[in-house]
Amino acid sequence: MSLRKILASRSIERVVVLGANGTMGYGSAALFTQAVPHVTFLARSRQKAEEGLAAAIKQVRSPTVASRAETGDYDSDLESAVAKADLIFEALTEDLEIKRNIFDRVEKARREDSIVATVTSGLSINALCKGRSDSFRKNFLGLHFFNPPNVITGTELIAGDDTDPAVVDFVEAFSRVKLGREMIRTADTPAFAGNRVGFKVLNEAAQMAEQLGPVLVDRLVGPYTGRALTPLATIDLVGWDIHRAIVDNVFANTNDEAHATLELPGYMAKLMDKGVLGDKTGAGFFKRDGKTQLALDVASGDYAPVADIKLPDLAYIDAVADLYAQARYEEGIQVFLAAEGDEAALARKVIAGYISYAFHRAGEVSETITGIDLIMGAGFNWAPPSVLVDTMGPASAVELIEDAGLPVPEAISKAAASGEPPRFFAHPVINVGKYFVAG
Amino acid sequence: MTTPEVYVLGGYQTDFARNWTKEKKHFSALMRESVLGALASTNIDPEEVQSAHVGNFAAELYCMQGHLGAFFTEVHPAFSGLPTSRHEAACASGSIALLAASAEIEAGRYDLQAVVGIEQMKTVSPGEGGSFLGTAAWYEEEADGVDFPFPKLFGRLGDVYDERYGLKDEHLAEISKINYANAKLNPNAQTRTWYMNKEHALCRTDDNAEVGGRIRIADCSQVTDGAVTVFLASRAYAEKYAERQGLSLSEIPRIKGWGHNTARLRFSDKVAESRDNRYVLPHVRSTVLSAMKRAGIADANGIDGIETHDCFTTSEYMAIDHFGLTEPGESWKAIEEGWLEIDGKHPINPSGGLIGAGHPVGATGVRQLLDSFLQVTGRAADFQVEGAKNFQTLNIGGSGTTSCSFIIGV
Repeated sequence: MSLRKILASRSIERVVVLGANGTMGYGSAALFTQAVPHVTFLARSRQKAEEGLAAAIKQVRSPTVASRAETGDYDSDLESAVAKADLIFEALTEDLEIKRNIFDRVEKARREDSIVATVTSGLSINALCKGRSDSFRKNFLGLHFFNPPNVITGTELIAGDDTDPAVVDFVEAFSRVKLGREMIRTADTPAFAGNRVGFKVLNEAAQMAEQLGPVLVDRLVGPYTGRALTPLATIDLVGWDIHRAIVDNVFANTNDEAHATLELPGYMAKLMDKGVLGDKTGAGFFKRDGKTQLALDVASGDYAPVADIKLPDLAYIDAVADLYAQARYEEGIQVFLAAEGDEAALARKVIAGYISYAFHRAGEVSETITGIDLIMGAGFNWAPPSVLVDTMGPASAVELIEDAGLPVPEAISKAAASGEPPRFFAHPVINVGKYFVAG
Repeated sequence: MTTPEVYVLGGYQTDFARNWTKEKKHFSALMRESVLGALASTNIDPEEVQSAHVGNFAAELYCMQGHLGAFFTEVHPAFSGLPTSRHEAACASGSIALLAASAEIEAGRYDLQAVVGIEQMKTVSPGEGGSFLGTAAWYEEEADGVDFPFPKLFGRLGDVYDERYGLKDEHLAEISKINYANAKLNPNAQTRTWYMNKEHALCRTDDNAEVGGRIRIADCSQVTDGAVTVFLASRAYAEKYAERQGLSLSEIPRIKGWGHNTARLRFSDKVAESRDNRYVLPHVRSTVLSAMKRAGIADANGIDGIETHDCFTTSEYMAIDHFGLTEPGESWKAIEEGWLEIDGKHPINPSGGLIGAGHPVGATGVRQLLDSFLQVTGRAADFQVEGAKNFQTLNIGGSGTTSCSFIIGV
């Protein structure tokens, strides 16, 4: 069925957002006001819901947010709002019991045909709807916007075992066309696809910072490795507490070949006890003192000006960037692969780990590597693993991964052995060049 | 003597949402990605390309770079030595490059031409960029010392309509809404992820600020980085190409007709000239009609869809009656009847146009031709106009000064 036909198959006139005072709640509610005439912001109190609405208005800057929104609280308004809703969107605290309790009330009040979506980034979709009625399970799915939803368009769509495929198709089309999302289907596995692969790399960078310090790590795993924002700056932006919640969840609930890279570094736990949570507390791996940028000394917890930190000779990074600036990506990546010195080898180890880990998750966190590729691109703004393999060529990828002492994914070694290797990233439209930032 | 045919083999558009300055890339990267993308998507070998034409408005201002035809030779070693050139006619630069390339094919000089439309605009602040765009008008008389001169000039186009026929802002808002909605179906459109709906387009607060008379933010096209490359070919090359691709020649679209007129630069002179004419911009009307005449198409009923120059909602409003979809001054009827929607009677800008898809100035005419190619070959995916056989473009430089139109069809 064509996209336009799927869209016309049902209409979403009323959405209820539960937990509309939280960052994901109001951010998602704001998105819905773009396409939905009536969006109800619900929270524990009307006051909290009003605060969510104010934040949504500030985020989107369109008068249509306010004109299409209503507010209410769970005690007085949940049942009446849910009864009228075509889509109920849950964005409560990441706690199975809290979510299950509110779903008890939603189940009793909702229409049989309404869709129920959760924005959870860590809990299992099947666990969240376990024991509910057929109509609830058929209409229940995960719709994982990334934070902040008005900036990051990549969105994971996670069906449960019993979700009606027509509901999945519709929510995908609606989110894409009406909400401007880039939709990627992933499996119901811990942290789904994007955070599973992404936070593995971020956490490995955090582990490396213990020895190398944050400035060198962010230079080594910087834009030239295929990302707009450097890894430790990303953890600061996301929040150390969120980082911990995600890696702890994955560490506890998975046991794969890269398990050790998912263990939160001890220094982060200690500093978090002292209130270091990243940008939200004004200090993380980096902080600002007026115009001076400071970097964390991991051992002492003190900060020193970034400008005072001596880095080894990293001229190869400029050489790579100069080639990327002219869209000579294949040549640039070969300069990276051939660069001499321990630092370049460490940078290559992170990239090798990213590619190896992602390819080994294909079939587990998403049907094929393409799902992981798409969410790494649209959710993290990182060069998708397949794009890196295509750009360096599979033979170079095999060598890179072997040199790092990591397992070589079968698909890549097969491609390297074949005379005419396939392109792993065969998307007809996405410009892969955008991932190779010249910096 | 009949004019030799010019075939369109396809091409490639860069993602107009990209910001090449943020990616820290040089102008040459934009050209390179677009040309290499076009070679890959058409299955053409670099060695086959015989000549290249580059359409660009103002790289000297935005990128401190001239001599753009020569940059084509940087893309691939096989291009070294090829005859190349650069063409400029403000926002119609891309179409002028297409006209030059197709004329050379008609003259029998070359069999396969690359045409690149390109503009990198996010190198400067919006105010500075607005001033650069002012050089598409008579700068000293219409733009010097004026903030954002072009929204004001196209606001005056709306005022002229209002004086002669009446004009309601809600009709302009509907044009904006349709372009933004179509853009959400186009994976290369700049605004595909933006927050927009009709209420927002109609709103008259600071969230949709006034930029020039009746023109507000939602009425404007975008500041865009982008490049588009298409390949044009002679019948001889197209025959070989069709065979190689397993197609019949009749499946490869042709440029069936073209129009090209230039009016006086100053907007006030254009308005004075058209005082007794039913059309506000009669030279634009001539351009549209001459393309139809050359294509042997009687009127807009023979066209399945239009990619027009909506640099502002008022320019699309003008295009509606100038294409003859309605009587002059009655463009609002087509809007109210829903004719402009993708599945309407006369779809306009299924791509999202300049408002939704973006407006990298020198690339726009080429982008319109490529999107028309996608439509008539059934490859426009989610923004496909069902069964489209003939599409017409309208590309305008300045305040209705240079007008170009192509009809492309199978």
